[in-house]
Amino acid sequence: MGRHAAPVSTSPEPADDPIASARALTKVYGAGATAVHALRGVDVDLGRGRLTAIMGPSGSGKSTLMHCMAGLDTPTSGTVEVDGQVISSMSQRQLTNLRRTRIGFVFQAYNLVPTLTAAENITLPLDIARTPVDRERFDTVISTLGLGDRLTHRPAELSGGQQQRVACARALVAKPSIVFADEPTGNLDSKAAGEVLGFLRRSVDDLGQSVVMVTHDPRSASYAHRVIFLADGAIVGELHDPAEADILEALAALGEAREQDAS
Amino acid sequence: MLRVSLREIRAHGVRFALSVLAVILGVAFVAGTFILRAMLSDTFDSIVESSLQGDAYLRSVATTSDDGLPDGPPDPGAGFGGARDGIDITLADEVAAVDGVARALPDVQGPIVIVGADGTAVVNGQAPSLALALHTDDPAVDLVAGEVPVGPNEIGLESGALDSSGLALGDTTTVVLGGEVREVTVVAEGAYASPTSGATLAFLDADVAAELFAPDGLVNSIAVYGEDAVSQSDLVDAITETVLADHPDANLEARTGDDVRAEASEAINEIIGFIGTFLLVFASIALFVGAFIITNTFAMSVRQRQREYALLRALGASPAQVFAVVLTQAFAVGLVGSAIGLLSGVALVDLIRWILSRFGMNLTGEAPVTAFTAVLCLGIGTAVSLVAAAVPARRAALTAPVEAMRDDVTVTEKSLRWRALVGALLLLIGVAATYVSVAVSTDEDPYWGLEPGPWLGIGAGAVLVGMLALSPVIARATLGVLAAPFVAAIKPLGRLARGNVMRNPRRTASTAGALMIGMALVAACTVLAASARESTTAIVETEYRADFVVLSATNAVPAEAVTAIADLDDVARADALSTAPVELSGPGLDPTATTVIGAPPTAFGTTLEIETLEGDLATLADGEAALHTSAALEYGWQIGDEITLRTDVTELTLTVGAITNSQALNADVTIGEDQLAELLGPAPANVVMVGVDGVDGVPLTELGDQLDAIIEPYVVVTALTADELVNQIADRVNQALVIIYALLALSVVIAVLGIVNTLALSVIERTREIGLIRAVGLGRLQLSVTIVIESVLTAIFGTVVGVVVGVALAAAVRSVFADQGLSVLAIPWDQLVAIVALSAVVGVLAAVWPAIRASRLPVLEAIAQE
Repeated sequence: MGRHAAPVSTSPEPADDPIASARALTKVYGAGATAVHALRGVDVDLGRGRLTAIMGPSGSGKSTLMHCMAGLDTPTSGTVEVDGQVISSMSQRQLTNLRRTRIGFVFQAYNLVPTLTAAENITLPLDIARTPVDRERFDTVISTLGLGDRLTHRPAELSGGQQQRVACARALVAKPSIVFADEPTGNLDSKAAGEVLGFLRRSVDDLGQSVVMVTHDPRSASYAHRVIFLADGAIVGELHDPAEADILEALAALGEAREQDAS
Repeated sequence: MLRVSLREIRAHGVRFALSVLAVILGVAFVAGTFILRAMLSDTFDSIVESSLQGDAYLRSVATTSDDGLPDGPPDPGAGFGGARDGIDITLADEVAAVDGVARALPDVQGPIVIVGADGTAVVNGQAPSLALALHTDDPAVDLVAGEVPVGPNEIGLESGALDSSGLALGDTTTVVLGGEVREVTVVAEGAYASPTSGATLAFLDADVAAELFAPDGLVNSIAVYGEDAVSQSDLVDAITETVLADHPDANLEARTGDDVRAEASEAINEIIGFIGTFLLVFASIALFVGAFIITNTFAMSVRQRQREYALLRALGASPAQVFAVVLTQAFAVGLVGSAIGLLSGVALVDLIRWILSRFGMNLTGEAPVTAFTAVLCLGIGTAVSLVAAAVPARRAALTAPVEAMRDDVTVTEKSLRWRALVGALLLLIGVAATYVSVAVSTDEDPYWGLEPGPWLGIGAGAVLVGMLALSPVIARATLGVLAAPFVAAIKPLGRLARGNVMRNPRRTASTAGALMIGMALVAACTVLAASARESTTAIVETEYRADFVVLSATNAVPAEAVTAIADLDDVARADALSTAPVELSGPGLDPTATTVIGAPPTAFGTTLEIETLEGDLATLADGEAALHTSAALEYGWQIGDEITLRTDVTELTLTVGAITNSQALNADVTIGEDQLAELLGPAPANVVMVGVDGVDGVPLTELGDQLDAIIEPYVVVTALTADELVNQIADRVNQALVIIYALLALSVVIAVLGIVNTLALSVIERTREIGLIRAVGLGRLQLSVTIVIESVLTAIFGTVVGVVVGVALAAAVRSVFADQGLSVLAIPWDQLVAIVALSAVVGVLAAVWPAIRASRLPVLEAIAQE
């Protein structure tokens, strides 16, 4: 690879008892001259009961990494393990089952079913899996998110922040092993974004959830226990319990390194 | 998951409305057909019940089975259940003497023409006019008023006939009976227990009827009425032991009334079955076309909801669950559509019944919806809907969950390579099969062992399906050509519209595909009808050389009239063509009921000019027979073969002396008039046509006036010149064409709904894009025009492809049936051009609603809409 690490990095130390891990993960789109190497041999362990943020500039491969680790996309080579199960070699049927039982998702936006009410959207994964709703869990999640008075509303009647909180509730209600969030605050104003991120952090701290979030917003990333930096398909550094300023600094350094690299 | 599915329908119900409508129309047609069939069957059963009321019947054993009958409705002359010889009318007296028999009434009936109060013949469409013997205290007929007719100058009328004739008891009127015009008084009104389905029925003195209709003393059967408390089978046993035992050589049989009624019902139901099958063919076409709307609707709905399905997949839904979400919607569409369709079918039948009753044909009872019909209709509608939605549903199921994460839902258009390959292969198979059928039918040696019919069917089917598969492949190029005038004439809208229809060739093609099928059938029927008309008129013009042709609407020119015409001083020739039912047998053919034509041999070359394929018609003078080529081919007979004709009276063995392909001699066998007279014995021949040539120098108009004077009293007889005859035949072809057009119209209407549907949905799908072009300055009217051009292009595309396919298939059909009267291929270019022009109009109409919708979209909201 021959790529030098960003100055802020400490070596990516394996966390104890990771909830998910990837080894020598590569993903190539297309073939031949037009091949795009989205991931170039990534090794990473994501900690259990932690909020991990993955950062990097556009095209760095952060979304691809998350898709592969969540079983939404199949890696070209390498292995992915989630909660003790190797998912990189699973069949589509097994992956479907995995998504049902072990994984929760929060998407950027517009990912509620518009014809269902908030409550119905939240219990949708359980309905799909034909699992009875755990009322206690449901109530806990709802009250944590402050959605109690919005349950009968359709998505169109909710604000962006409310929609995203419903999406968070949907990800959490089935008690997944891990929640993946793809730019969860991408379409929100800063106040709403703060609420959502605060909730994600609380779900980790209070409910013991493991959450992985992809973002390019340093303020969002500052809510994380750990921030992993990606560039050109490889991990180039990480920070633990960073402040927003630390992240900005790291990004700036990363940018400089890239500029030097380019020149 | 069910909730997701149903909510979507509730939220976007309008999008499915036209799909539901398509199912409604198709299912209504199917339901209507079944209900009508059941109702006709009920009606005719009750007619059988009331007209065959005997406890037992005596008749002769059938000499032929009905297996030997040609395809199509059985020849009424042959009777049901095969041809039977007549039995001696005097047997009735013997039967009446048997213990337990109350009455034995011979069945005596024949054709009659009744002149109504307005001076015209009482006829009811194609229904027959019959005169029957009315006995005193006849058990089958309820004498409503008056007395049983006595003597040759009294008749009774059935209540319905009395109504439609406008006559009253005591009135005198004219009837034509057994070829004679007679003045009679109406003395009775009789009624049957059930409606007579339009037949005009008159009653005669039993002796008069016997004299008229059983001049040889033979009747078809004798109805036996038992005394009270004698069972039907006891009655049959009693007759078998006595009458049958006394006449061991007469070939008699006695059957219970129930058996005979069941036999008659069965035979009638077979005919009704033909009608039902015929209608069901059109119903299936309508449903098939409707399936295209459903497929398109679901394809577009799935495309719009790609992201939602990806989300469901990301949340753990299996492909099968997503498939089920889409299919549940299809199920709902199908179920709702077919339920309403079933009700519409009932309404449709009520409407038909009302119309029929206006024409004097009364059908019994309520429209019967049996559980079977209901389940079948719901099943068919739902199944069509499910099958049509299966492909889009599969597409939804295979949505990659990662699509949910992407900002832009990229809908990858699958390559058309497979479609092209499969389509081309099917087309090739179709063309090959069609070629085989044409080759087989035109081959001199028909013993390839191949029948052209099935090959033609396979060929036509494969060509149609192949073209459907290929149409997206050819859409781009064809639409490019079709759009060229619009692009050049209406800038820049033509270009915009062309882009829209060419952007998704699959969708455009399947929208046009529905229209293509309908239009292919319309074009094929148009070409075939034109060919039939041309072929027939060409033959009529060459064959009928007489100055006048005298015909009767009842297909029986009265004998008196024939004589009177021949006796005219100004008439040089009056050649009568007569028909009679006979039993035909020959090498390799067991006795089979058919009709024979008798003609004066001298007619050929004078009033009739008939080309023979082989042999010479002059041999008829030597007692030889002429075969129609269809019979020669079917039975494998050639010149010189010996064939046998048999009637009640006698049996003749004749040598085949000629083979023709004549329109005038359209029966299997034609013989000389002397031979026919020999076969018929004392019974009169049934004259179907008289060719009249005037003496040289007599003006045609004068001859015409003289003829009219003779035939005027017979009411239903006409004298036509060759031109008038040609027009009459052309009219008949046109009438048949109108019925088929009407039946195809529903498919075309559904296809047009399909265009409305696709346009409306694509307007919804393109909301954002429409907002954009409106924002950069496209006016409302311009937008509407663009959509109208899209619609017109789609309609013309479907029509042009359909017409090309239809004309090609019709040409093949014409070649295959060249021997059966379609000797000329006529392509009515003006009508085909009119069809294409009409489709452009249809395109404009289809665009109205979608265009209005699109132009009302608020620009800002359209852009903001995700």
